[in-house]
Amino acid sequence: MGIDRTTELYERFKTKLEAVSGECYRVETAKEAGQLLCKVLQQKGVQNVALLNASISRKGTMENQLGEAGIVVMTDHFREVTPDAHAGITQVNYAIAELGTLVQADADANVDQRLCSTLVPIHVALVSTSKLIPTLMETMATLHRLPRIPGFVGFITGPSRTSDIERVLTIGVHGPKQLVVIFVDEQVEEVA
Amino acid sequence: MANKQFKTKIENALDNKVLRGALGRFGDAYTISREQAYEGYDFTELRENIARVKSYAATHLDEMLDQFEKEASARGAKVFRATTGEDAKQYILELARKQGAKRVVKSKSMASEEILLNKTLQAEGMDVQETDLGEWIVQLAGQHPSHMVMPAIHMTKEEVADTFTEHLKRVNEPDISELVKTARVELRKKFLEADMGISGANMAVAETGTLIMVTNEGNARLTSTLPPVHVYLVGIEKLVPKFEDAGYILQALPKSATGQKITSYVSMVTGATPAYLPDGSVQTKEFHIILMDNGRRKMYNDEKFKKTFQCIRCASCLNVCPAFQLVGGHVYGHIYTGGIGTILTNFLNSEKDAQNPQNLCLQCGKCSEVCPGKLDIPEMILEMRNRMGEKEGLPFTQKFALDVVSNRRLFHSLLRMASVAQKPFTKGQPVIRHLPMFLSGLTEKKSLPAVAKVPFRDVFKNIKQDVKKRKGTIAFYAGCLIDFVYPKIGEGVIAAFNEKGYEVVFPDGQSCCGAPATYMGDRKNARKSAIINIEALEAEKVDYVVSACPTCTHALKDSFKELLEDDPALAARAEELSRKSLDFSKLLSDLGGLTPGGDGEPLKVTYHDSCHLKRKMGIYAEPRKLLSNTSGVKLVEMKESDRCCGFAGSYSIKFPELSGPILDRKLGNIEASGADVVVVDCPGCLMQIAGGLDKKNPNIRVIHTAELLLEKRKKMKKKNKK
Repeated sequence: MGIDRTTELYERFKTKLEAVSGECYRVETAKEAGQLLCKVLQQKGVQNVALLNASISRKGTMENQLGEAGIVVMTDHFREVTPDAHAGITQVNYAIAELGTLVQADADANVDQRLCSTLVPIHVALVSTSKLIPTLMETMATLHRLPRIPGFVGFITGPSRTSDIERVLTIGVHGPKQLVVIFVDEQVEEVA
Repeated sequence: MANKQFKTKIENALDNKVLRGALGRFGDAYTISREQAYEGYDFTELRENIARVKSYAATHLDEMLDQFEKEASARGAKVFRATTGEDAKQYILELARKQGAKRVVKSKSMASEEILLNKTLQAEGMDVQETDLGEWIVQLAGQHPSHMVMPAIHMTKEEVADTFTEHLKRVNEPDISELVKTARVELRKKFLEADMGISGANMAVAETGTLIMVTNEGNARLTSTLPPVHVYLVGIEKLVPKFEDAGYILQALPKSATGQKITSYVSMVTGATPAYLPDGSVQTKEFHIILMDNGRRKMYNDEKFKKTFQCIRCASCLNVCPAFQLVGGHVYGHIYTGGIGTILTNFLNSEKDAQNPQNLCLQCGKCSEVCPGKLDIPEMILEMRNRMGEKEGLPFTQKFALDVVSNRRLFHSLLRMASVAQKPFTKGQPVIRHLPMFLSGLTEKKSLPAVAKVPFRDVFKNIKQDVKKRKGTIAFYAGCLIDFVYPKIGEGVIAAFNEKGYEVVFPDGQSCCGAPATYMGDRKNARKSAIINIEALEAEKVDYVVSACPTCTHALKDSFKELLEDDPALAARAEELSRKSLDFSKLLSDLGGLTPGGDGEPLKVTYHDSCHLKRKMGIYAEPRKLLSNTSGVKLVEMKESDRCCGFAGSYSIKFPELSGPILDRKLGNIEASGADVVVVDCPGCLMQIAGGLDKKNPNIRVIHTAELLLEKRKKMKKKNKK
């Protein structure tokens, strides 16, 4: 993907995500992603996070950065910690520009990945800019080309929402109330 | 046909201001958001693709089921095929016992509502929690969902707050965001403690054994992630052949259901995934899939209902249905509501349960227009109605009336008698299109026209046809309303075609087109009418057959052929008639329209699309062009011009309480357009709208296109003479 094409896809993604109340950022390096993450979480008053081990967070030494920023970082026992964590940080495999959608598609159907992105009030998703896919249909084809369909594939488009009472839109029901997406241009190894 | 209890339910729903308000607001907002969601997408192509993949799955059902089972099993799922709901319930019950499951969380499961699964599990002492907010609310309130996508649309925030207060034993204020927060906190505990998760799926991919769930709240993600045991209860209609096929449905479902581009969450589960066990270890989940038939196969094996397999359960047919918008889902009586719900109820519950709700269908066809699965819902409801009519017979008065209508001599002499008999009465003695007066009922909201003094068939004999440069002959099929109530329209039709060089003949033997019988489920009498008219019209001898009533045209073009399929000789004649039959504005446009003319007098005109003309025949541009080409006419569009006026044949007699508010909305839209005249192409719509305007706003006239053209051109001639 050329630079212009990537930027075009990113812009499309950002517009769509913001239309469904998500926040979207783009940085060059994993390190910068860590800095941005600390800033964003501090602004939101987050004091502790569940951090899922993944390539971008490792490369960006996020555990250290968050610790230095005074945020308590939890990296295991997710079933116990995520119900009370202020935020969860995960890395997702793809992003669909057409819809502003994140795609979780780990080969091992990682249960912790799901807990860190579902039970927390704030979900921060890290994603490689190079993993932007233009459309939903191309995403389906991409998933199908994997050696096998991952046991759990999750599409996430903005925070959780409902309009079940009097058709009034309310953000944040059972899932996160806020969704923050940080795109990282720097190439890092594949998601662990 | 509707019984008393059913009528009471309708009345209660209509009296429920909250329900009406919520449904109305949603209906308005839905139309706009749906349109926006599809912006930039080719809906026609998308629905073609959905219809293609789903109909493939329907015609290869066993192959699909086998393949799905094989693939899902290879990924660690235990697949069970349930023939009945009872089988499914027993399986789940035994599994729960074996696993020692006491606490169950559920999400996305109309199928479990269908078989009343909760009751079975609760009887066993299990704690079963619905986790979708709307479903949880109705569960706490002891009700069942009133809409496939928005289960609690019928409740106010006050009612929700009271329900929470009672259930949670602490006061809840009617503040929506607070109520949602309460649900979050309460249900969070349930998710974390659950021993077992039960859910449905929106799709099941045969090729990969994948189940796909579409949600907004995140409850399906939690249900499928947290409990160590999971059961998917999936109707066999959820199958799609290939993985990418699911993409089409993923594109259409949220857009059609709620007007979203996509839902917040889409979860795809392929086989057993890891889960935390109570001891804290991560293990592969105990994972079961039930593929449930429960009446579905019978539905797909029926040629006339096979297409229901193409339904993706988006509920857009409910959202645009004028009747549903007034009464909501609970009136339908069973789990599945609205148009598609009526059909599902007929097969998944019982024919008896569908008997009342099927009556609610106006046959306006709006649902078919928006259906992403390309289902012709009104057509299927009509088929049900006919089968019920054949099996059980119609109520005596209906049957008697239809017998009369299909006896031309008796019917026509009664109509002639009516024109005399009505004289002593006050204005507004009823005549209902296609039906003799003794069947009709007075309504409060509208006046009804009187039977014409001289029917068109007699007027016709005195019309001098002035045809220069003769090009051919057209047979005019008048239909009862033009013949006996609105002969003026007939005069307009003749003048227009004379001007185009055609002589018009009026075959005397013609009679009612049979539509009343067709729409009331009396195929026998409809067939009788078809034969009378085919013989009378002798389409073989003329160039065209024209009608100025879209319902009649639809009968001539489509219904006769279907009714006479079994008789080759008559079928051939029906085919010939079908080929030559055209609606007035269509034929006139095909012949090049009239040379521009008119009296030049300014006239603000708005156009109402009749359901049969626009949706059955795709004709809406033609009449507008004919009107615009008339000097002096200024065409202004009204809001929702193609929304049903509420006439719908005998519907306005059967359900005046529904027909009334539907008409009111139409009248409001007409008034808002600021037009002096509303033009229609259907005598039935004309009668309905004229009746309503007479009471509400007598300054606005209603007129048929043919009559307006006649009027404007006559005035032009007069002017020119001066």
